[in-house]
Amino acid sequence: MSPARHTSPPWPAAQDAERSPIPVHAGVGLRFPHHRLVAETQPLAAWFEVHTENYMGGGTSIAVLDVIRRDYPISLHGVGLSLGSAQGLDAEHVARVRDVVARVEPGLVSEHLSFSRVDGVYLGDLLPLPLTEEALDVVCRNVDQMQNALARRILIENPSSYLQYRHSTIPEWEFISAVAARTECGILCDVNNIYVSACNHGWDASRYIASLPRAAIEEIHLAGHAAKEIGGRTIRIDDHGSRVVEPVWALYAEALALFGAVPTLIEWDTNIPAFGVLQDEAARAERALSAQKERSRADAA
Amino acid sequence: MPTLLEIQRAFAQAIIANDKGGAAPFILANEFAPAERLDVYRNTFLSSLTNALRLCYPAVHRLVGEEFFEGAAQCFIESEPPKSAYLNLYGERFGDFLATFPPVASLPYLADVARLEWAVNGALHAADAKPLDVEAFAAAASVPPDRLVLIMHPAIALLSLDYPADAIWRAVLADDDESLSRLDASASLLWLMVERTTHGVEVTRLEEGAWRFLSALREGQSFAKAVESYADLVPILATHIAAGRFIGCREKIP
Repeated sequence: MSPARHTSPPWPAAQDAERSPIPVHAGVGLRFPHHRLVAETQPLAAWFEVHTENYMGGGTSIAVLDVIRRDYPISLHGVGLSLGSAQGLDAEHVARVRDVVARVEPGLVSEHLSFSRVDGVYLGDLLPLPLTEEALDVVCRNVDQMQNALARRILIENPSSYLQYRHSTIPEWEFISAVAARTECGILCDVNNIYVSACNHGWDASRYIASLPRAAIEEIHLAGHAAKEIGGRTIRIDDHGSRVVEPVWALYAEALALFGAVPTLIEWDTNIPAFGVLQDEAARAERALSAQKERSRADAA
Repeated sequence: MPTLLEIQRAFAQAIIANDKGGAAPFILANEFAPAERLDVYRNTFLSSLTNALRLCYPAVHRLVGEEFFEGAAQCFIESEPPKSAYLNLYGERFGDFLATFPPVASLPYLADVARLEWAVNGALHAADAKPLDVEAFAAAASVPPDRLVLIMHPAIALLSLDYPADAIWRAVLADDDESLSRLDASASLLWLMVERTTHGVEVTRLEEGAWRFLSALREGQSFAKAVESYADLVPILATHIAAGRFIGCREKIP
């Protein structure tokens, strides 16, 4: 599929940017295989999100992003901050994130509700937190520290998870809502993650979404996942390696009906397809966003 | 009830050392056993870090093949997990690890290929810096030469190797089997400069003296001392400055 051309700025920035400097449209997660295509041909995309960790240091990657960000709004999505670390944040990593944020001037900065660091070792994955009062205090302290270091609001994303702790006392939807209420951070609602975790743990995905504080939702993520069969049982793995599945599109429609139109991102990180496939997924999200905006206008009239 | 830190330490032990005894009792057992659930995370830990090593060490990867690389990477990751979430900095000691990894003893040059790839990776991701221009260098003349220290661009590495890793690295990445088969991979001392240029990362063989001169400057030896030791090489300095290999100078307080 060849990518559609992008002519003039995709959407006037101010048009419906009341909620955030990232436009209320469907963006695409930008990964290295599409760097050149995007920098050289400016394909149609409302905005891009990149992983903060991929642009630390100097050299070509960040130089290409310097070029791309002249034509598109950019959001920075971190994967290594470990907001759930009992021992606090890694000061060097905080400084590196701050440097990337200063250079890229992103519309949004986000991270995950998870931990990935303990005793000075980085564990290479977004690991689940026990949902306890202690963990809630830790996360809020770390989010506060990060927001102070950046002097701006960040968004935190609900994780997908493959286990639950015996002594968790707070449902995840209440936990993330409490973090937003206490720290005034925003929420990045990953609809696929809600679906994956709900399937893995027997939660009610619709109830999860309905429990989130509408005013705090500043972004939505959509992605594909894998259903892994082990001995006749199924566990869903959030591998970002395929198209968004139909039940997640249905859940996305529920989310938009509850939250109103919110900037939405298509993420794809393994087996990255041609850019046109990502545009195709974004176009479907865009149609859902347009329909929601239409409904909101009708409701207001 | 375990503390958050106790849980995080037990989780790390399960993931890094595949020792799940500490973490399993904290996890709900139902359709899947705690160990099976922890395995999902351990698999991601290993695959994401193996991928980081694969990106950093493409020539080593091709020389040993995917299956062997994965096995070696797993041993390395378990013995030296990353200290930072900035994974471009992960894997510095992979070359040293390979040097003492018995299964690759028959490939004595492999560790040096890895050391070269680490230097290339460092040059690729090093911080951007503005080169020292002639005016700034002239201004430095006011500093007494025995106190003047030149600062080298962070995207330059100097390494000395025991095997012709540069030739092997080039042939492997170019898929040039013919050069590779003709190549003499026996031990021969090598003096290399690895640098990021506008065209990408370049690897250049230097004369030993020229390499030692640059190394002396990189290590912060004063201009006077470097000139005294390598008087015949001073004219090269202008070339280095013109090529943007120095980004500033400072005065060393004795």
